Amino acid sequence: MDVALQILFSGLTLGAVYAVSTIGLALIYGALNMLNMAQGGLLALGGYMAMWAMQAMGFPAPLAALTAMAAGAVAGGLIFLLAARPMLGGEGFETRIFIATIGIGLMLESLILKAFGPQPQAQSLRLDGGLMFGRVNLPWQNLLIFVTAILMLAGVALLLGRSRLGRAIRATSMNREAAQLMGVPIRRIYLTILMLSGALAALSGIMISSMSGLLPNMGADPMLKAFIICVVAGLGNVPGAALVAFAIGMLEALIQYLFGVQYAFAILLCLVIAVLIWRPQGIFGQKEVVRL
Amino acid sequence: MIRFLTLAPARRDFLIAALLFALMLAVPLLTGTRYVMTQLTVFFIWAVVASQWNLVLGVAGIFSLAQMALFAVGAYATAMLAYYLGLMLPAAMLLAALVTVGVSLVIGFGCLRLRGPYVALLTLAIGQVMYLVVVNDTECFTTPASGCLPLFGGARGFSRFGDLGLRDLLGSKWYIGHYYVGLVLLLAAQVFCIAIIHGPLGLAFRGLRDNPGLALARGVSRTRYQLWVFGLSAFFTGLAGAFHGAHFGVVGPTAFAFPMLLFILAMIVVGGLGTTWGPLIGAALLMWADEGLREVSDWREIGLGLVLALCVVLFPRGLAGIRLRVAR
Amino acid sequence: MSLLELSGLRAGYGAQDVIRGISLSVAEGEFAALVGPNGHGKTTVLRAISGLLRARGGQILLAGQPLTRLRPDRIVAAGVVHVPQGDLLFPGMSVLDNLRMGACLPAAAAEEKRRLEEVFTLLPKLRDRQGQLASTLSGGERRMVGIGRGLMTGGRILMLDEPSLGLAPIVIDQIYDLVQQLAKSGRTILVVEENAVRIADMADRMYLLDNGEIAWAGTGAGFLSSPEIFATYLGG
Repeated sequence: MDVALQILFSGLTLGAVYAVSTIGLALIYGALNMLNMAQGGLLALGGYMAMWAMQAMGFPAPLAALTAMAAGAVAGGLIFLLAARPMLGGEGFETRIFIATIGIGLMLESLILKAFGPQPQAQSLRLDGGLMFGRVNLPWQNLLIFVTAILMLAGVALLLGRSRLGRAIRATSMNREAAQLMGVPIRRIYLTILMLSGALAALSGIMISSMSGLLPNMGADPMLKAFIICVVAGLGNVPGAALVAFAIGMLEALIQYLFGVQYAFAILLCLVIAVLIWRPQGIFGQKEVVRL
Repeated sequence: MIRFLTLAPARRDFLIAALLFALMLAVPLLTGTRYVMTQLTVFFIWAVVASQWNLVLGVAGIFSLAQMALFAVGAYATAMLAYYLGLMLPAAMLLAALVTVGVSLVIGFGCLRLRGPYVALLTLAIGQVMYLVVVNDTECFTTPASGCLPLFGGARGFSRFGDLGLRDLLGSKWYIGHYYVGLVLLLAAQVFCIAIIHGPLGLAFRGLRDNPGLALARGVSRTRYQLWVFGLSAFFTGLAGAFHGAHFGVVGPTAFAFPMLLFILAMIVVGGLGTTWGPLIGAALLMWADEGLREVSDWREIGLGLVLALCVVLFPRGLAGIRLRVAR
Repeated sequence: MSLLELSGLRAGYGAQDVIRGISLSVAEGEFAALVGPNGHGKTTVLRAISGLLRARGGQILLAGQPLTRLRPDRIVAAGVVHVPQGDLLFPGMSVLDNLRMGACLPAAAAEEKRRLEEVFTLLPKLRDRQGQLASTLSGGERRMVGIGRGLMTGGRILMLDEPSLGLAPIVIDQIYDLVQQLAKSGRTILVVEENAVRIADMADRMYLLDNGEIAWAGTGAGFLSSPEIFATYLGG
C-alpha cells in the first residue's frame, strides 16, 4: 500500500513535468511540422534563469519563475524569427529546421555552460519539507509541481478551446491554407506558438531542476522523453500528448521501483520502439493516407 | 576543361575520385609529420561515415540518426570478436562490418512504415538504448588483470584487442600504414557512393522524390530500395567504426555520444545534403575548423552550433550546392 | 469603375508559368464567371488574387488598391473572400466553430452574431448541424459550410472556386440557387466553373481561360449565342 502510494506520487509528479514540456512541442509540430530540437536548451535556460533571478537579482520565487518563462518565450520567439521564418515554405523544411534547431540547442547549452560553469548546482526555487501520508512522505515540492502543472494545462486547454486565438491556432494546425483564407496571420500565430512553447519549456525546466539539480545539459534526456511522448501520442496531438505524458510518468516510476533507476530509461525506450513498430502513427494518431 | 565539364556525371566523379586518390597517395612522401598523417587518417574515417550517412539521409531521404550507432556496432563487434574469440583484427573487422549490415537491416525494417520525424526519433532511441545498455552494465563478464570487464566493456570500453599488424611491419612508421588503410577505405566508400548516386538506386530515389506517383506506377518500390541503402551503407560505416577502433586501440561508449553525431551531421549539412562531394568537403572543412577552434575550446561548441544553424538557414543545399549554382 | 481589376497577371509553380498575362475586371455588384477546361489555370488565378501564390508579374487592384505584394491575411482584410476548391474545412471543429473561424478578423468579429444569424437564415440546415464535427458532414453540407464560412468574413468580393465540384446533380442545383440568391442580394461574385453552360445564363460577365490566357470575354448571353466558342474551346 505504501509502495503503491509512493509510486503514485512520484509518477504523477513526473507526468506533470513531462506534460508541461511536451504540449509545447506537440503544438509546434501540429502547426508548423517542426520538431524543435532546441527544447533541451530551453529547459536548461528556464532552470538557470530562475536560479539566477533568485540569487543574483534577489527576486521572490513567483517573480523568478515568471522571469524564466519570459526568457523562454523570448528564446522561442527568436528561434522562429531567425531560423524557422526564413525557411518557411521552402523545400525540405522539416529536415532543415530539425538540423537548425539542433544547432541552436547546442549554442544555448554552450552559452549556459560559459555563463554558469559545468559544475552541478542546486535549484534555488524549491520548497523543503513535506506532508506525511502514513509512512509515505509527499514533499511540498512535488505537490507544488503537480498543482502548477495542472493549472498550466488547464490554462492551455482553455486558451486553445475557448479563445479566439486558440481557435486560430487549432485552425492553422488543421489546415494552414484555409486558415490563411480566413485572414489568420499565420506567421504571427507561429510566433505565438513558439513563444508559448518556450515559456512552457522554461517552466518545465524549473520543475526538472528542482528535483535533479541544474546542469547545462540537463535538458537532453527530458527532451528525448518529451519527443517520445509526442511520438507515442501521435505527433501534433496536444491532448493525447498530455495524457501520454502522465502515463509515461507513472510507467517510469513503476519501472524505477521494479528494475532500478539505471534501467528505467532504456526500458522506456524499448517500449517506445515497440509502440512505433506496432502503430507507426502513434497511439492516437490517424493513419495518414498519402494522396498522389 | 570544357571536355571535362561535359563528361557524363558518373565518369566525371570517378575521374575526380581517381585524381584525389593519386594526390593523397603522394602526401606521405611530401610531408611526413606524424601529426598531419594522424589527422588525415581521422579525416578519412569521418569522411567515410559522412558519405555513407549522406546516402541514407540525402540521397534516399530517410531521416535516420542511427549512423553513429552503426559506427559503434562496427567498432564494438570488432573489439569483441578480437578480444573474446581471439580473431585476427582484419578478419574481425570484416566480420564486424557484416554484423553492422545485419543490425542496420533490422533497424531498416523497423523504420519501413514510419515517416520522416518518426524515423529520426526511432533511430535516435535505438542509439540511446545501445548506449545505456553498454554504460549501465556493471556486471563482470570476465575478470582480466586490469579488473572487472562487463560483456560490452562498460563505461571504460575495450582496449588491448590487437592491432592491424602494421606496427610489426613498419615499426615506428606504422601510422603511415594506417594512413593508407584509411585512404583506401575512403576511396572504396566514395566510389561506392558515386556508383549508388548515379546508378539505378540513385535514379530510383530521384524518381521517388521528384514524381512519386509516376515512380510508384513504374514499379519502383520505396521500401525495397530503402532496405538496400540501409544495408549497403552500413557496410562501410561498420568498417569505418572497426578501423577507428583498430587505429586508436580503444573502443568505448563515446562512439555513441550525441556531440559526435552532431559533428558528422554538420559535415553533411555544411557540405551539401544529397550531393556527391558535399560530405567530403564538409568533413574536411569542419575538421579543419575544429582544429582551429581547439585554441579557444570553450567556443568550439558554440561555433559548431552556429555553423550548423547558419548553414541550414542560408545555404539549403550546402557548400557543394553553392558551387553548382555558380557553375550554372 | 471596376472593383477587382487584374492586368497582365502572371503566376505559376516551379519553372512554369501557369497563367500568362491575364487581364480581367469585375465591377461592383457584378456576377462574373471564369470558365475553361480543367488544368488551364482557373484555380491559379484565384490563388494569386488571394495571395496564396505570389504573382510573378502584373497587377491586382481591389478598388484601386494594389494587392500584389500583400500577405494573404492582409488581402482578406482588404475585402477579398476566397472559398477554396474542395472546401478545406477544419475537420476537427464543429460547424459552428468553422463558421466562427470565418469571422476571425477583428472587423468581422464585431459582426459575428448578426452574420451567423444571416447564414443560418440562408442555410437553415446548418443551424441544425451546428454542433456536428465538420469531418462528419456530407459533401453538400460541407460545401454549404464552406460558403457560409466565406459569408461570415463579409468582404467586398466573394470568390467561389468550382462550387459544383464533386456534388450530385440535385445538390448542384441547390448550391447554384444559393449562389444566384447571393448575387441577387447585390454581392460582387467571381465564380470559377468548368461547366460553362451551367453558369452562362446567370453571369453578367464571362471570361474563358484557355491555356493560361483569356481567350474570350463578354456577357453571359453573348457566350451562349456564340456557338463557335464551344466548338473551339470546349470541344462541344
